[in-house]
Amino acid sequence: MTVAVITGAGVVSAFGIGVQAFFDGLAEGGSAIGPIGSFDASSFPTRFAGEVPTDIASMAETFRNEHLSGGDTHLQIDAFRDRKVVFGLLAALEAWNGAQCAQREQEAALSIALGLEQAFLEDFAPIFSSGRIDWKAESDIAGANIRIRSHVGLCADLLGKLLVLRGPTFVNASACAAGGLAVAHAASLIQRGAASIVLCGGADSMVNPLGMGGMTRLGAPSPRNEPDACRPFDRRRDGLVIGEGAAMFIVESEERALRRGVTPLARILGWGSTQDAYRVTAPRPDGSAARNAMLRALSRAALQPEAVGYINAHGTGTQLNDVAEAQAICGAFGRHTDSLPVSSIKGAVGHLMAASGAIELAACLMPFQRNLLPGTAHHREKDPLCEINVIGEQPIEANIDITLSNSFGFGGQNASVILGRYK
Amino acid sequence: MNRIHRPTFISGAAAVSAFGFEWRGLGRALKGGHIGFSSSMQLADSHPGIFASEVSTIPGSIDAGGVKTQKLMSRPARLGAIAVQQVLADSLWNERREEIGFYFGVGASGGSMVELTEMLRASIVDRQFSLARFGSAGLAACNPLFAFQLMNNFTLCHGAILNGVGGPNSAFYSRGNGTVAALFEAMHAIADGDCERALAGGADSAVHEVTWAELEREGYAKQGLIPGEGAALLALSSSDNKALAIVEHCVFQNSIEALSMDLDAASIDFIIIAPWGQPARRVLRRIVETKFTRAAVLDISESLGDALAATPALGWVAALDLLQSKEAKRCLILNAGIDGGIGAVVLGQTPTSLEHRA
Repeated sequence: MTVAVITGAGVVSAFGIGVQAFFDGLAEGGSAIGPIGSFDASSFPTRFAGEVPTDIASMAETFRNEHLSGGDTHLQIDAFRDRKVVFGLLAALEAWNGAQCAQREQEAALSIALGLEQAFLEDFAPIFSSGRIDWKAESDIAGANIRIRSHVGLCADLLGKLLVLRGPTFVNASACAAGGLAVAHAASLIQRGAASIVLCGGADSMVNPLGMGGMTRLGAPSPRNEPDACRPFDRRRDGLVIGEGAAMFIVESEERALRRGVTPLARILGWGSTQDAYRVTAPRPDGSAARNAMLRALSRAALQPEAVGYINAHGTGTQLNDVAEAQAICGAFGRHTDSLPVSSIKGAVGHLMAASGAIELAACLMPFQRNLLPGTAHHREKDPLCEINVIGEQPIEANIDITLSNSFGFGGQNASVILGRYK
Repeated sequence: MNRIHRPTFISGAAAVSAFGFEWRGLGRALKGGHIGFSSSMQLADSHPGIFASEVSTIPGSIDAGGVKTQKLMSRPARLGAIAVQQVLADSLWNERREEIGFYFGVGASGGSMVELTEMLRASIVDRQFSLARFGSAGLAACNPLFAFQLMNNFTLCHGAILNGVGGPNSAFYSRGNGTVAALFEAMHAIADGDCERALAGGADSAVHEVTWAELEREGYAKQGLIPGEGAALLALSSSDNKALAIVEHCVFQNSIEALSMDLDAASIDFIIIAPWGQPARRVLRRIVETKFTRAAVLDISESLGDALAATPALGWVAALDLLQSKEAKRCLILNAGIDGGIGAVVLGQTPTSLEHRA
């Protein structure tokens, strides 16, 4: 059977630009959660996030200077109003270059998880009069091409143009499960011979007024505006913290990678997805559908539960998710649960929403790259309702060969992906 | 690449469109030119006089969820959820629904404009948007659950939740091809053994103030695009038991140049094209005129408008009706989007498809 391998990775996170910055941040056991700086959130109930530590304008400028030589304007610089676009492009370039991709790799398909359109509420102001939107005035407004909202697939469109990709494009819109599903999909395309190489991953940002505001209205974020706002699996947890960024990968067959002299970073061994089919507003409490996603992944990988050496949990830090996920892990791993280290990086970088599954798969590469299992920032008090082996705030040294990442979406979509050390 | 030759059987279907809430008869109605446009009700205040293809008043007996649940739904999510319950009923899939896969082409956010307007009213002063006011008053002015209407994966999730569909799944953002990708993935999920049964289709609406404003700004309105809405699903199975038809072929690419259909053109007797805008229409007509000279051709957008992510799936279901009513033996459904993406799906009769369920 064709084995899908990861040959390149790129990350943009609250720890900075690049995989090494991400690994360094996790290795230090710190947290990059802080006050929002990209817009004035002082009147907002939620004012903390895992924000990428560069202002988007300078990032766009850097991008323009380094990657758009010759006055190339077809990439629509105003598209960078949508923060996730520049994150996705930067992460993809790092993965592309890291995997030593060249012209031949432009046959790649693209399987990317992207979050919702970014809404630009300020664009409504000139056409808002007498308490309503006057759409007739809209056509008279001069300005950016990307107005009112960006379109969901914008980052994918621009990536295709930037890298001159010739393969088909898939934009996964499965909320917080999308990143894991997009990478699993890439492996699936490779395994069935439907693509020879795939650029995959996810990019998202809800660190914008409507994104932050909408999530706050749902009551999902922690009400505390403090650096430890997100405390996954901790008894005191009270909500998630929103993050932003991207993680992108090059996935191809092992044979193809070796033929072109590239050493894989990991194997993609298995994956599975399910739907809670329970409630709009809550995960299935017994975690049975999430458990089944893990079991599907194990089955596809032809692995026994005992083979898994680490789980990167979805671990949002909300009351309901963490208990349900702990139940799911117990259900899938049985007696192995006690000795199976589990952590969540959401306390460190926040919840990257559509990109969370992708960046958490990047975290699953750290055990292979540095023999370190990421810690769970701000996890200090064990919750008796979460009977799993949660790694504390500091990373731990371990030499393990198999990692599993969980991603569970609003609406009940579940995804689990298993990676294997490349030997 | 990106082609499935292994047949997948169709066990049932559903369509929600201006034609109504029934898939049987859709293809024949399109062929007969019996579906027309009318002045849009949903855009009457914001864009008066726009003609559209809209789903009529939804009867309570077939609606999805209760009033409380419907407040969490965007219009495409509601239409999609109706289609899910209908396709499950049509295929008689009442057991082991937790194992059924679900792959859906979805569009952009379709939140309530009432909520958005309330939010803006509290946040805009003298044509200036105030972040301070938005944070302190604008957010409080909207329904706390408004965000659920904005999440486009809920176009899949509501239907799954209400009907217990719990197998492997993915929502693909679609400007046409995402819906074909959903079919492609559903077929592969069955072929790979991830599930024995799966739903595949799409739901979307162009009859939304923001979406229509974008289509106007991008020039599609001037080109004659008529906004539409709808949802359509096929129930796919590895089993040929009581199959209505076969999905023989599913292929898509980012450009016409990359698309290789590898079809026996002479065997295709009916073609449904689903273009998004005039340039796409021209591309599809050129393909038809050069490769499929013997086939009858129907442009679904000329009758149902452009329902964006839903349109290719409505085309598949219309084709299924033509196959079931013996008006066609093998149908090709071609779609093309504004991003250059192009897809091709072929549905054919099964030996038994004419024998059951008249």
